[in-house]
Amino acid sequence: MHVVEVEGVSKSFGGTDVISDISFSVEKGEIFGLLGPNGAGKTTLIRMLLDIIRPDSGEIRVFGASLDPAGKDRIGYLPEERGLYRKTKLVDMLVYLAQLKNVSRKQARENAESLLRSLGLYEHRGKRVEELSKGMQQKIQFLSSIIHYPDLVVLDEPFSGLDPVSTKTVKDRIIEYRNAGKTVILSTHIMEQAQTLCDRILVVDRGRRVLYGSVEEIRKERGKNSLLVEFAGYGSGHGSEYGSGLDAGFGTGLGTGLGTGLGTGLGTGLNVGSGAGAGSGGDALSVLRGIPGVRRIVEHEEEHKKFVEIFPEDGTGTQAILEELVRRVEVLRFEQALPSLNEIFIETVEANANE
Amino acid sequence: MSKFSGKAFTVARHEFLKTVKRKEFLFMTFIFPVFLAGITLVPALLAGMTPSEDQSVGYVDITGSFDFPEEVTDGGFAVGPFGEKSSTIEFVRYEDNPEASRALRAGEISSYLLIPEGFLETGVIELYVSEKGVTVPRANLAADLSDIVVTSLLQDEVDEAVLVRVKDPVNIKMFDIGEGGEANEQGVADILGDLGLPFLTAFLLFFSIFSASGFLLRGVSEEKENRVIEVLLSSATPTELLTGKVLGLGAVGLLQIVVWISAVALGASYALPLSLDPFLLFLAVVYFLFGYLFFASLMAAVGAMTSSLQESQQVAGIFTFAAAAPLVFMQLLLTKPDSLLAISLSLFPITSPVAMLVRIGATEVPFYQIAASLFILMISIHGVIIFSSRLFRAYLLMYGKRPALREILRNMREG
Repeated sequence: MHVVEVEGVSKSFGGTDVISDISFSVEKGEIFGLLGPNGAGKTTLIRMLLDIIRPDSGEIRVFGASLDPAGKDRIGYLPEERGLYRKTKLVDMLVYLAQLKNVSRKQARENAESLLRSLGLYEHRGKRVEELSKGMQQKIQFLSSIIHYPDLVVLDEPFSGLDPVSTKTVKDRIIEYRNAGKTVILSTHIMEQAQTLCDRILVVDRGRRVLYGSVEEIRKERGKNSLLVEFAGYGSGHGSEYGSGLDAGFGTGLGTGLGTGLGTGLGTGLNVGSGAGAGSGGDALSVLRGIPGVRRIVEHEEEHKKFVEIFPEDGTGTQAILEELVRRVEVLRFEQALPSLNEIFIETVEANANE
Repeated sequence: MSKFSGKAFTVARHEFLKTVKRKEFLFMTFIFPVFLAGITLVPALLAGMTPSEDQSVGYVDITGSFDFPEEVTDGGFAVGPFGEKSSTIEFVRYEDNPEASRALRAGEISSYLLIPEGFLETGVIELYVSEKGVTVPRANLAADLSDIVVTSLLQDEVDEAVLVRVKDPVNIKMFDIGEGGEANEQGVADILGDLGLPFLTAFLLFFSIFSASGFLLRGVSEEKENRVIEVLLSSATPTELLTGKVLGLGAVGLLQIVVWISAVALGASYALPLSLDPFLLFLAVVYFLFGYLFFASLMAAVGAMTSSLQESQQVAGIFTFAAAAPLVFMQLLLTKPDSLLAISLSLFPITSPVAMLVRIGATEVPFYQIAASLFILMISIHGVIIFSSRLFRAYLLMYGKRPALREILRNMREG
């Protein structure tokens, strides 16, 4: 079931198109990432979802129909621009916000107290917001968006301003929420978080949809079809002889798909002739020479652990390369490299900017 | 303001409780009347408590033709139930200036008078007081002296009745001619009741309308400034928010004006022999409600359009100034309540609540005029609310530069 369906929505402010012809849908029980650079139109899109502003054209359905008051009560919202009543007591404010979602006063009070307890803020319940630290205020703000246990939570940049511990708390909450069958829409520009949290994403740039689909599919689609290999006898303590280092690593840059699923490692480009295997020196690396169907081998180092990235030629099977490797070295790790969401994002947005 | 929903009620109750607990509200509602009462009553109280100022005044009569009594006693004037105080001046005769001067320096007298040779031509009497511990000559010393002079000069020349008339030539008594031609004497209390109370009621009305709609303005600007508004808008519609706020703060204002008017009624019956016309009170409440609705809706739109409290108060100041016009024209409203300007002020929606109340106090306002002013006010309220809720929706989430007039007009039309 689609919790949110957006069809061909456009919006302009004062003659400038902020959102142009965007369509997507959010399914029940998923964490949906709404990604995009600053000023891409994410917040406008969210405000239209919540019926705070109306689209110029297109259609938005939430819970299967255009948003009605009962529907609004089933949504929780954490806006990017944070704000709380500064002079009101925590509990009173939370109860008021819950009551605005048609939760009875008694129920609202119970929810508020149990949520405050679960975030370790119960002892502060009688304080005014202005007496709290900034981090605590952020947690309260998050809490206020789920005070009525909504079926759909819309979180606009939920991690901004949070310390690592609070970030983890909020992250765990979000996952917990999804596992309970609720739906989460998460807007962020921090791609690492989107990659680990989101099931599906929509990338918006300058008001247009540039990427849309499940995180796994998008990464596979954009994959360079390279393989990451770690093997015994290569790596620890063995300095690279090719003048490796930052320059070389960044020189090959994003275009060569240097990053891996683990993040960006340092690497040294080893351009080898087609089908020739690995090129110059390196005792350990020489064993990889001559594997048929390999176009290029790139060395990487990450936290003093070395591994190689193998780029097979088109038409060479992964299986064949693995067999060849197993014959030559003791393979410790063998996996398909996928570009990080971060790389895909930057690449897409830059490509879009050059158009 | 279409349908009244549960959320509007939630907003109203929240706004009411929040505002009633504010220190500013408690101060304005309960301390302000006490303060006002203090201003009017304290001087009277003080006058009542200070001991009567009996003085010894010396005199040197060089002309030798005046007949000073041993002492004169004046009835003092005091407001309210504190009774009258009398004070006495004792006159002591001295033969010449140096002798009187010595007595003054010795502290036997507080001051002395010198009636010089040419008094009959110049009319000048000299008053000498001590350099230290200046004694303020009593206000009615001149009146006392002129009585003495008149008596001395005319006592044997004219009849007793003429003498009295010369001392106290004219007294005016005021009468009302009623519908049937019967004349009613007006006392001080009536004049105060007719002029003072309308002024006071109008003043309080003005204050309560603006303190309540001021709370609304503050509330909207604050929510906009601290960005709570976006969360609120994700829960309730702009109309629900606007309705809730207007109702909740209207209740606050009503509470305030009820407290104030009770204080006035109580104070009036205590300090002055007055009773307030219940019809005037009723109209005061009606005009409060209408005036408040009108200004509150205006303020809500102002609060929504501006991006900080300070800015919003500047813009709102324009309206407040316009609404204060009846207070500026108060004298005209009281003395010529049936003039064209007075009638216009009591019909024009921004000024009508205050102006009409003053006129009702000052004159018999024809019923059709009251009806017309209420009708015009109602139509205006309707219009303002429609435009305000459109602007409210359009501008609540906009920050930054103040919108241009043309853009505002466009948003009013489009909604």
